[in-house]
Amino acid sequence: MTRSAFRKWFWVHKWASLICTAFLLVICVTGLPLIFGEEIEHLLDTDPPYASLPANTPSANLDEIVAKSRQMYPGEIIVSTFMDDDEPKIVVTMAPSWKAFEANRKVAHWIKYDARSAQVIRQSKPLTQESQTFLGLMLTLHRDMFAGLPGELFLGAMGFLFVTAIVSGIAVYGPFMRKLDFATVRADRSPRLKWLDLHNMIGVVTLAWALVVGITGVINELSTPMFLLWQKTDVKAMLEPFKGQTVPTTAEMSSVQQALETAQAAAPDMRVTSVVFPGSQFGSPFHYLLWAKGKEPLTSRLFSPVMVDARSGKLQAVVEMPWYLRALEVSRPLHFGDYGGMPLKIIWALLDLVTIIVLGSGLYLWLSRRTSSATEADTELMESNAGAVLAVSREAAE
Amino acid sequence: MRFGLSRIWRWPAALAVLMPFGLLSALLGQGGIWWVLSWVALAVPLLVIAAAWQKRRRSVVSEQQ
Repeated sequence: MTRSAFRKWFWVHKWASLICTAFLLVICVTGLPLIFGEEIEHLLDTDPPYASLPANTPSANLDEIVAKSRQMYPGEIIVSTFMDDDEPKIVVTMAPSWKAFEANRKVAHWIKYDARSAQVIRQSKPLTQESQTFLGLMLTLHRDMFAGLPGELFLGAMGFLFVTAIVSGIAVYGPFMRKLDFATVRADRSPRLKWLDLHNMIGVVTLAWALVVGITGVINELSTPMFLLWQKTDVKAMLEPFKGQTVPTTAEMSSVQQALETAQAAAPDMRVTSVVFPGSQFGSPFHYLLWAKGKEPLTSRLFSPVMVDARSGKLQAVVEMPWYLRALEVSRPLHFGDYGGMPLKIIWALLDLVTIIVLGSGLYLWLSRRTSSATEADTELMESNAGAVLAVSREAAE
Repeated sequence: MRFGLSRIWRWPAALAVLMPFGLLSALLGQGGIWWVLSWVALAVPLLVIAAAWQKRRRSVVSEQQ
């Protein structure tokens, strides 16, 4: 690498890192409990335990659960129902009206049922009145820092800078290692040299993981615009023939249980896990939108929407997801690290911790710099290589 | 003395191949051995860090003696 190319890459590495480090530190720290989110949630779960029923007890009729919910909250709309595949629960989300829900999604509240007996297990207050949970707080800080979509896009940009810092870090790594064996940590010179070596070593050793988690993190931050794009293009085209129709009233809606069975028959290799009701901005004004997912480890991350006409109950389509939403779905496990059991989660957490060390040491190296920035790149390299020469000559003398 | 590209990059490159293998083996494999391979592949970089850290300590200790 020429000296001027090195200076340019060093400049990119320095500024990309400096701009994103503070945010990345927050992301790394809040990401740590999120890795174990499922476990923490179970630990903090105060819901009464499920009634013990024979394992093969069939699921209750969805129509019965929906009717029960409407009886409890007459005049309200049902937003969606979620049929968990881990636990025997069905969660019905309701809101005063679609208009109110669109203005603020937190006006919604939910009712949790035992999926087999259709008994209510617990109800939430409207989410505007529910207190923030620990995990909810961590997730908000991790994803948007209480700034909604702008926050997501901003942290996505920070993630992009993080990826840029890794790539430029690869470029400047070589010159620093011209006279050093791999994974050498010169702890006997100065703290600065020791932390430079640790920064370079940990950075290069974990770079593939950091790149994957960085890139998938950016993709996750773009999920809102991606779903919006899908709504505006594919979904809109599908709904074209229905133009001019009104959203079906509760009385006009066909059976949800029937819609579930129709969708399940149309996607026999998949399992339907949720139903979005007609009128939702996340679905169709005229259809039940049922989300089905595969049963294998990878395909269980891939969702396909099935649309069932909410008036006639006829199957409309099993929708093929566009490539960018498939990419988003695959990027989720690779970002969360939740797909290989507890050992993988622990490894994920340790990699997260050493990334914090790389970020912190990078910041320390910049704060303890001794030169004007014009020659910073050269000075850094000279100091590092001089240290190596010293070490070699000392070794020779010993 | 200057090291060539291959000497500088052979270990980082090996780890940069091993890690994606570990990431994908648990995702694409059907549990069992694929999970174990994933854990091993992703634990290696952590062990390298631990080993380098350990070596640093020893060199400091030997200097003090």
